[in-house]
This record gives sequence, structure tokens and C-alpha cells, in this order.
Amino acid sequence: MSVSEDRPFTLVSGASSGIGRAIALRLSPRRALILHGRDAARLEAVRKDCADPPAHLIWPCDFRNASQVASALTDFMGGIPAGIEGLVHCAGIVHVLPARSAGLEAVMESLNVNYVAAQQIAATLLKKRVNRARLRNVLFISSIFSRAGARGHSLYCASKAALDGLMRALAVELAPEVRVNSILPGAIRTPMAETAMADPEIMARWQQDYPLGLGQGGDIASAVEFLLSDNARWITGQQLVVDGGRSVNLSLK
Amino acid sequence: MNEFCEQIADILDVAEVKGADVLRDFEEWDSLSVLSTIAMLDARYGINITAVDLKDIRTVAELWDLVQARKE
Repeated sequence: MSVSEDRPFTLVSGASSGIGRAIALRLSPRRALILHGRDAARLEAVRKDCADPPAHLIWPCDFRNASQVASALTDFMGGIPAGIEGLVHCAGIVHVLPARSAGLEAVMESLNVNYVAAQQIAATLLKKRVNRARLRNVLFISSIFSRAGARGHSLYCASKAALDGLMRALAVELAPEVRVNSILPGAIRTPMAETAMADPEIMARWQQDYPLGLGQGGDIASAVEFLLSDNARWITGQQLVVDGGRSVNLSLK
Repeated sequence: MNEFCEQIADILDVAEVKGADVLRDFEEWDSLSVLSTIAMLDARYGINITAVDLKDIRTVAELWDLVQARKE
């Protein structure tokens, strides 16, 4: 199947690697996808790994520069009359810094990628002249850090909390046409977590902290599939924690 | 190496560090500083080191040598 004039798309941001890539591969047999990332070559590689590659499009855009996201997406939408029915915002960035070293550049980068881009995309997709009221489903890939603290992660925690605040507000404002939810993954085996996983001490602690062990991208893709489906038709405004039990584990040893 | 020293000084919350300075002698060289250093080396120099690698590092200059070695 190739790109169709009347089959609406699902936009997956941050699809070049890790969780976003796993989500794209999982959704690709049944949905026409727009794969977003920074690097066109890497996106093309993901598209080729998808089921039915000709059915999907790529949209390279650097979310670190948030002021261009809305206009870039509006231009891009000009070429796809079928519009976008689903948004999965998976693009994310982590700066590990002591709170006292969190300079404005790192603050803005974290906010722009993790939160502002999601807000700007959602706003753009809600404009009738851009997307013809096609949007039905919004999913933000947040983090269990949205509801907790971790030393050195103040920017990540704050930006993910902002994302979840937006999620609840949109869920109320956009009902009943659009459902809006977020998924809060724990530690997943991805390039983002690679440095931490290479550290035997951190790995040993994670083995203790995660009752079900570390997760895989596919575990998040399964939750995405569910929340995008009609099986979740009465679920909106929710944070779905998918963390192998990490956030409820209070074991001392 | 000047820029590198500034980045380490920033993590350690001191005005400046010199090559011969011993990392463990700094009050702020704790697990969070180690984590920050690892993240900084990844972001600024594109190299992946672990906390285990850092255990054998004594001075700022030794850390710089490790960065140079990993870059090659």
C-alpha cells in the first residue's frame, strides 16, 4: 500500500530510536505513520524496518528549536490531505545536572523537546484549516520521573510533569472528540539508558528495584496500542504507569 | 584542556581546577558529580564512560587523558 489520500496518519515523534522506534514498528502494520526525528537518514532506516514502508512518511524536525515546530508542521501538513488522527509524542531529552548547574540553555532544551514541542504539535493539529478536525487521540510518553524526584534530574522531572499537566488539561478541553493520555515508563533498554546500563552498580540496583526486571520498548508499544484502540474508549486524562512495578516497590532490600 | 577544566570546575562548584588537583579532595565530588561528569563527557565529547572507569581516576589531568584516549 502506498500513501493514500483518505487514510489519516498517526504521528510518532522521536521515532528514530529506542521507545519511539519500537512504537513505530508495532503500529506500522495497521496504521499509516508519520515518523518524526532529527535525522532524515535514521528515519528512513526506521521506515524501511516498518511493515509496508511506502505507507509511511518521515518528518525531520529539531524540537530543540521550539519556535519553528508549529510552522514546520503546518507546512508539512499541506502535503497530506488525509490529515492526522493520532499523535504519540515520544521525543525526549535528558540532561543530568546538579540543580545548581541547571543553566538556562539546558532548561530550555529540556522544556522545548519534552513539553513545548508536544504542546505546539497538539495546537497545530487542532486547527481546522490545518487538520480538518481529524485528531482523535493524543498520547504523551512521559516518565515515572513525572511523579517523583531523582538526583541530577530536576529538568527532566519538571519537563515531564509539565507534559502530564498539559495532558490532563487537553483531556478535559478536547472531550469527547479527542482522548488524551500519557504513559509513564520506567527504565527501558534504550540508547538513552545505555550509559546507566553500562554501570554494573546501577544495573545491580535496577535488578532490585524492578520487581519485573527492566522493560523493553515493546512493553511501551503494547500500552500505546491499547490506549490508541477503541478498547480504551472511556479512558482519558490518565497517566498509565508501565514500569514493571518500580514505582510501588518499597522493599528495603 | 582549559575548557575541560572549566566544565569540571562547574560541576564541582569551584572557581577553577588544575590538572594536578585530586578529584576526591573536592567536597562536591560525590555520586551526583560523578553522574554529571559522565553526562557532560557524553554530551560535550561524545564518549561513554562509566562510574567504574572513574574509580581509577585520581586527578583532573588523568580524567582528561582518559577523555583523549576514548576519543581516538
